[in-house]
Amino acid sequence: MIELFTYDFMQRSLLAAAMVGGLCSVVGVFVVLRGLAFVGAGTAHAAFAGVALGYLMGWPPLVLAILFGLATVWITGWVEEKGRMKLDVSIGILYTTTMALAILFIGLMKTYNAEVYGYLFGSVLSVTSEELRVIGWLSVLVLGLIVLFSKELYFIAFDQEMAEASGVPARRIFFLLLTLVALTVVVSLKTVGAILVFAMILIPASTAYQLTSSLRTLTLYSIVIGVTTAVAGVVISATWDVPSGPAIVLLATTVFFISVLFSPKRMKRAVQAHAH
Amino acid sequence: MSDSLEPIIRFDHASFGFPGVIALKDISLSINAGEFVGVIGPNGSGKTTLCRAILGLMAPVEGHLHIFDCACDALRCHHRAKIGYLPQKGVVDRNFPVTVLETVMMGRYGALGLFTRPGAKDRAIAMEALSHVEMDKHKDTALGHLSGGQQQRVFIARALAQQPKVLLLDEPTTGLDMTAQHNVIELIEHLHDELRLTIVLITHDINMIRSRVDRLVLLKTRLYAAGPPADVLKPEILSQVYGKDLVITDKDLIIVEDYHHHH
Repeated sequence: MIELFTYDFMQRSLLAAAMVGGLCSVVGVFVVLRGLAFVGAGTAHAAFAGVALGYLMGWPPLVLAILFGLATVWITGWVEEKGRMKLDVSIGILYTTTMALAILFIGLMKTYNAEVYGYLFGSVLSVTSEELRVIGWLSVLVLGLIVLFSKELYFIAFDQEMAEASGVPARRIFFLLLTLVALTVVVSLKTVGAILVFAMILIPASTAYQLTSSLRTLTLYSIVIGVTTAVAGVVISATWDVPSGPAIVLLATTVFFISVLFSPKRMKRAVQAHAH
Repeated sequence: MSDSLEPIIRFDHASFGFPGVIALKDISLSINAGEFVGVIGPNGSGKTTLCRAILGLMAPVEGHLHIFDCACDALRCHHRAKIGYLPQKGVVDRNFPVTVLETVMMGRYGALGLFTRPGAKDRAIAMEALSHVEMDKHKDTALGHLSGGQQQRVFIARALAQQPKVLLLDEPTTGLDMTAQHNVIELIEHLHDELRLTIVLITHDINMIRSRVDRLVLLKTRLYAAGPPADVLKPEILSQVYGKDLVITDKDLIIVEDYHHHH
């Protein structure tokens, strides 16, 4: 077991998992609080379509993943802002359209390409040094922007209209949040895959939500849960030779259900109901 | 009564809405510094539109709106932080994982601007706002653990933390029990007297406010009447606006279907 950690690929995988786990869990706090759950899922599939087009045309897949992801969240945000369509409807249409494009691009490839499927299902154990550097730089960028605008991001998650009425540039901050969601999805694609990346964003923050009623503590708990489950999932994956994406997500889901069972908020409500 | 006749919110033949749907038409109204103004009207009369206009969230499609001498015609009013706002109950998620002090601190963010972190001074202002609404002892309590009336107090403190000139309250007593309703209105009256704040209170509850406000503004898509409560709450005006006959007794405003038969 200890021997595992001496391999380069394992060290790269653990580092990638820790970074992606931490990044997703921080962005996830704002996604959960602002009610953007479906946007994350839609973006993941759009980014995958970008990857598929990249491999089909021989263009850099990550750059196209970023372009597809950003286009999806910006169109969604614009449609919501203009009040033309409900958010879940517009993202639902873009979600299925981009997935159809991804299937089309894969179908147009002359040969089977295992790397494309790596982005769909995740393959953290095959992360290269170059990919690790890209994950590292994008993580620094996203986390830096979150730290810089954290107070505004918390405020628009609480109530965007109230934030705008108070003089906060709420609409611009909302588009910044959508951009951060898209970048986070792209960063995480290789590690957990397009299908499961959204769980990495949603589950740690939702687990932390069960445990605290303070914003700062919620963010801290979410990071701890995100990093721990991602790293532990990689170890499980390498030890028992199971796919890494499902290992991480199923572990995080288990922690989520335990947190629901032992949620102090839930217990307090139960005590209050009993007292009444 | 108002301290002076210095108008701080001025609607000049202003209309609001979207192309083809005008929610408020041809409003001319001035609200003066230190005034306590109640805005009343039936559902769909444009009360919330008026509220959004004052907040700078809607520009007039016709006419002009000036807030603190700033034209808000292009939605570029820079005085939003001077207007403390209490949204309708139910607009925000009151089980959001946030403590009382964290909620009130949000009132400082607009004035601080981007890139500036709240400091000791902002915390002191937030604590002072909490003490004004007598919620300072609950500063570390989760917002979701408070009663509806206490949550309203916290939201009023959040508005006060902006150090506003105007307090804009949208249906502050809706959904509260009778005692909490009374306490919230008393608190608003107290803040008006003690902090010399201009209060704009939007409500359905005419009885609750009619003895407390300097002026009532009665809306029904357009400005139907504005003035001292006794001038606005006339049976003939109310029956036109509400579509039912209403009479004013010493204590209450009551609906009578056959008012004209009585007289």
